[in-house]
Amino acid sequence: MLRFRAAILTAKLAIVILRLFRSGGTSLPGKLAQRLYPQILDHLSGLFRITMITGTNGKTTTSRIVASMMEQKGLKVVANKSGANLASGITTTLISALTPGGRPRVTHALLETDEAAFRTMAPRLKPETVIVTNFFRDQLDRFGELHTTVNNVREGIAKIPGAVLILNADDSLCASLGRNVPNRVIYFGMKEGVYPEGNASINSDAAFCIQCKSRYEYSSVTFGHLGHFICPSCGYGRPHTHVECTGILSYDNLGSTIEVSGPDMDITVKLALPGLYNIYNALAGASFGLALGLDGNGITAALTGFECGFGRMETVHINDRELKMILVKNPTGFNQVLRYLLTQEEPCVTAFAINDRLADGTDISWLWDVDFEILALMDDRIRAYYVSGIRAEDMAVRLKYAGISPDRVILEKDYHQLIQKALQKTGAGETFYILPTYTAMLDIRKILKKRFGLKEFWQ
Amino acid sequence: MYELTICHLYPDLLNLYGDRGNIIALTKRCEWRGIQVRVKQVSLNDPFRPDEFDILFIGGGQDYEQSIIQDDLQKGKRDAVREAVESGRVILAVCGGLQLLGRYYRTHDGKDIECIGAVDLWTHGGQERLIGNLVFECEFLKNEHFDGLVAGFENHSGKTWLGPGVKPMGRVLKGFGLNGEDGFEGAIYRNTYCTYTHGSLLPKNPALTDHLITLALRNRYPGFESLEPLNDAFESAARDAVIKRLMGKNSSR
Ligand SMILES: [Zn+2]
Repeated sequence: MLRFRAAILTAKLAIVILRLFRSGGTSLPGKLAQRLYPQILDHLSGLFRITMITGTNGKTTTSRIVASMMEQKGLKVVANKSGANLASGITTTLISALTPGGRPRVTHALLETDEAAFRTMAPRLKPETVIVTNFFRDQLDRFGELHTTVNNVREGIAKIPGAVLILNADDSLCASLGRNVPNRVIYFGMKEGVYPEGNASINSDAAFCIQCKSRYEYSSVTFGHLGHFICPSCGYGRPHTHVECTGILSYDNLGSTIEVSGPDMDITVKLALPGLYNIYNALAGASFGLALGLDGNGITAALTGFECGFGRMETVHINDRELKMILVKNPTGFNQVLRYLLTQEEPCVTAFAINDRLADGTDISWLWDVDFEILALMDDRIRAYYVSGIRAEDMAVRLKYAGISPDRVILEKDYHQLIQKALQKTGAGETFYILPTYTAMLDIRKILKKRFGLKEFWQ
Repeated sequence: MYELTICHLYPDLLNLYGDRGNIIALTKRCEWRGIQVRVKQVSLNDPFRPDEFDILFIGGGQDYEQSIIQDDLQKGKRDAVREAVESGRVILAVCGGLQLLGRYYRTHDGKDIECIGAVDLWTHGGQERLIGNLVFECEFLKNEHFDGLVAGFENHSGKTWLGPGVKPMGRVLKGFGLNGEDGFEGAIYRNTYCTYTHGSLLPKNPALTDHLITLALRNRYPGFESLEPLNDAFESAARDAVIKRLMGKNSSR
């Protein structure tokens, strides 16, 4: 107990000092505490009712929707910042929600967890609820093979049989986590044919049955490998859903209006979240709301009152122009962002900022798995294509081979220059889209914060 | 008008690291010169003949996907691939594709997995991953305008060794290459080119791409001499950026 108190105080002191220096360091305090008291996380987790969120894409947005559900229910919750999703960051988060005496100031904790860390974190955090958004191929140099990632999460779940699992039914990899486990499972997904556009891609991340390796058959696809799948040889198929999107009434670059059905619930919700992705994230959130005991009205209120961009989109208004920054980190996510751009009807300027630091993935060959070819559909609306970041040259090559005329592609590695030049090319009332990888986003955000007063993402 | 058929073997299973980029590069560089290209995708249970393509591409897959093709390849396509290799068809095999063409793959716990034995090379699985950007120097690409350097990215745990009839593609200047020990990268046997350099190999190294296209055109049109040059400013910039960074000049980090 003494060690626990000492570790808490040290970490809290570190948090205060880091804040004084305006450093966003989120892992150092947790690291210090772990050093003083290695079992601190196991101790901390007993003080909160914990929900864990993991999966490849949509963790951050889903976390925010879930937080909104909790607020709707009147619960007090602490959540980790995205990027602080390993043991040290989670320790810091939980410590920040304690009084100096070591008592929790909130009842609930909402913890976004890296897929690779889930296996070891789940038994330590002992969550009441686990939400898994989806599995896509992501930075193979960091995460290794996709099936290894899925199995890591599976092993973590095997150690928490009491947790409620909220799973994406349309993802054959994710849905398989709910098979043959004692846990209560809530599945969410899209009703067959609700989204007519999708077709199965040759580059699918999961075209073959996870049980018997036969090729799945699909009666409906939303994107990537998500859809109504069935294995013709062993019969493994999309499970029955508890929460389902039964209709998309409108869909544009600002958001969508969707119908959601569940047990004792039939609601129509206007989501201020563009993109198909976010419909899935909203369904995950609605499933959580149901598990929490909210009714249709409560869930509608939590989803409607919720505003944020596409995935991780941040907007700054600069002299009549809009600058929108959207994080890109893997092929499926990038494809969704490009599809979102297609909904843009006014002329715009685009920039791609590609880095290859550790947090981005050191291998940028994934750019070749992104369908930049679809930009041809809006080439006449794009005033210029800027390329930036450490791998700007590779990005330029990718655009050229996607059919973009090289004289429309401009290389600018200096972010100050990039923003200035691109905004000059952007007409009044138009939008400048920057699509950066993770570390490029951090660098660009610093400039946006300094020059244009961009707020911290989480706040 | 010239025509070429490119065959992508198991495109839905062996497509790990932007392998599609290699197909796109071959296709575009032909199209920009008015050469008509047909891309044929051949996967599980599809018939496959050694004479129905000019260039064959075999990429790498994750273990799960590689295990799926094992049967189809050994029973259905092995002999055709062997025949294609022996008859001098142009073949590019990357990463897992390189290993498949060899004699066997020995896992790090000592189990031998039979491969198709089209090229005299073999691979021993290791426990550390050989991963990162690499640069290697290819004599066969050198001329008065070109230094022969190829830049790319590798990510493999297998270490590959070449038999006496097989030549390496080049000498590693930075990175690991075939096995991280003997300083060589890639393998050439007849017109079959094998390499651990994946993803954007061909897009960033147009000299290699054009070399393969030229070989394919000569196979099909015996009088064919050489390709007209293209403006490769973007491609060269991307290649040079990696070389500069690895060779320690004007490092951008
Ligand atoms: Zn099956």
